Amino acid sequence: MPVDREEGEGTPRPPSYQMATWALLGGVLVLVLVLVSARGRHGPDTTRDYPSRSLPAEPVPVLLPPPEMDPGYWPCSDCHEGEKTNFEVRKFEEEHDVMEFKHGTLWCLDCHDAEQRDTLHLANSDRIPFSESWRLCTQCHALKLAEWRAGVHGKRTGYWWGPKEYRNCVECHDPHGPRFKPLEPFPPPWPPRGPGSTLVEAAHE
Amino acid sequence: MSDENRSGTRGARGASRRQFLSACGLGVGALTGLTGAAEAFEFDLEEFFQKHFRELSDDEVAEVLERLERKYSKQYGKEVTIDATGPIDGVVYGYGLDISRCIGCRRCVYGCVDENNQSRDPQIHWIRVLEFERESAIRGIDLEEGNPYYNHEAVPAEDKFYVPIACQHCEDSPCTNVCPTGATWSEPDGIVVIDYDWCIGCRYCMAACPYGARHFNWGEPNVPADELNPDMHLLGNRPRPRGVVEKCSFCIQRVRDGRYPACLEACPVGARKFGNLLDPNGEMRFLLENKRTFVLKAELHTRPKFFYFYGRG
Repeated sequence: MPVDREEGEGTPRPPSYQMATWALLGGVLVLVLVLVSARGRHGPDTTRDYPSRSLPAEPVPVLLPPPEMDPGYWPCSDCHEGEKTNFEVRKFEEEHDVMEFKHGTLWCLDCHDAEQRDTLHLANSDRIPFSESWRLCTQCHALKLAEWRAGVHGKRTGYWWGPKEYRNCVECHDPHGPRFKPLEPFPPPWPPRGPGSTLVEAAHE
Repeated sequence: MSDENRSGTRGARGASRRQFLSACGLGVGALTGLTGAAEAFEFDLEEFFQKHFRELSDDEVAEVLERLERKYSKQYGKEVTIDATGPIDGVVYGYGLDISRCIGCRRCVYGCVDENNQSRDPQIHWIRVLEFERESAIRGIDLEEGNPYYNHEAVPAEDKFYVPIACQHCEDSPCTNVCPTGATWSEPDGIVVIDYDWCIGCRYCMAACPYGARHFNWGEPNVPADELNPDMHLLGNRPRPRGVVEKCSFCIQRVRDGRYPACLEACPVGARKFGNLLDPNGEMRFLLENKRTFVLKAELHTRPKFFYFYGRG
């Protein structure tokens, strides 16, 4: 049976009640629009129109000065000057006995110069200062020289495009025992927190 | 529904113009009330109405930066600078990690935490260092077998090797593909970034990432004021709100100024390499051309820009 739509005309609700309904609807509408415009939209597909920035000229890498010499041993000439050189390959028992020697079959005088004690010498007997020790190392480790120059061997700091700081071999490797010594690791990450996790139990105690 | 109700609707349809206008007035009034309430609860309306980062004009970006600088400087009691430095033309970043040299010391993990203002408690680490049995490498690396919780007195432990993992900054990144709000995307220089103001915390990206590189702020992030790094980027290391996802940004605040990422500088064995993939004379190209290089989960075709290599031999 069709409803008589005119029936309600004679009995309108109090105006205040109607206004409240409208206000409520209006408020909800505004809120929905705000939420939709703020959150419910997929992000833009274009990239941001950044101002153009170009790279400056290619920087020159910077070789940091070598580390300080150990004042307990340096300068070598303090002890060795005027002393008769013992060329015999032997185990040290008095001096240098705490040092670790693990560098293949190398002997001191393969690198250290016997005549001018505060210098090193290359395989061709050219004398070089300690500050250029990388020239000595790379006589054998020539492949590492190329990688070191390219920045693939050895630690670099500073700028990937700017003053790139790189280091002498002896900064990281002890020339007498070049392999890295084991290190204490920094603390492990926390295990996940969740049901059954010991951390959760500890937190609730 | 009763007839009485229907008649009510009919009555409303016949409402006068005056009634309608007054209702609109009430709506506006409600909005004004909202503003008042927002102020009372320290709710930032400007932040709420902020547009997506990629839709902001330069002036609007400047306004956002200024507002955030004010907010964080007040919150942490120290001068904070935030920038939104853009990419550099002709630069796509790449990362190299020498797994033959990594000793698993986790210096990178904490270098990253300090630089990028990760929450200390609850703890968030962008880098996870996985420990593997050397023997398992013969079968190939299965990331499921990696243990991030190792705790030896000294590393490297015998017969173990280490694979640090953070965001791989994929060329075809599953995380950005699934984001329902477009809150994460790949920048022209290849850095996958997150707009923390646009992230709704649905964590779809975390489910999509095959590398576990994304982390969620379940609680209010907590960074002690004296440890806060005040040098920030809007899309990088600025303090995150609760309920958003975060991850490695290649230290966007450093690399766009030409500097190396913090993890690289923290590495004591020089296992980490970084540079411009488009620079034919750069270290990344030398590495890719001369070293045995691989990417994680290459079979997924995500095309990471994070390369692992064997430096020895």
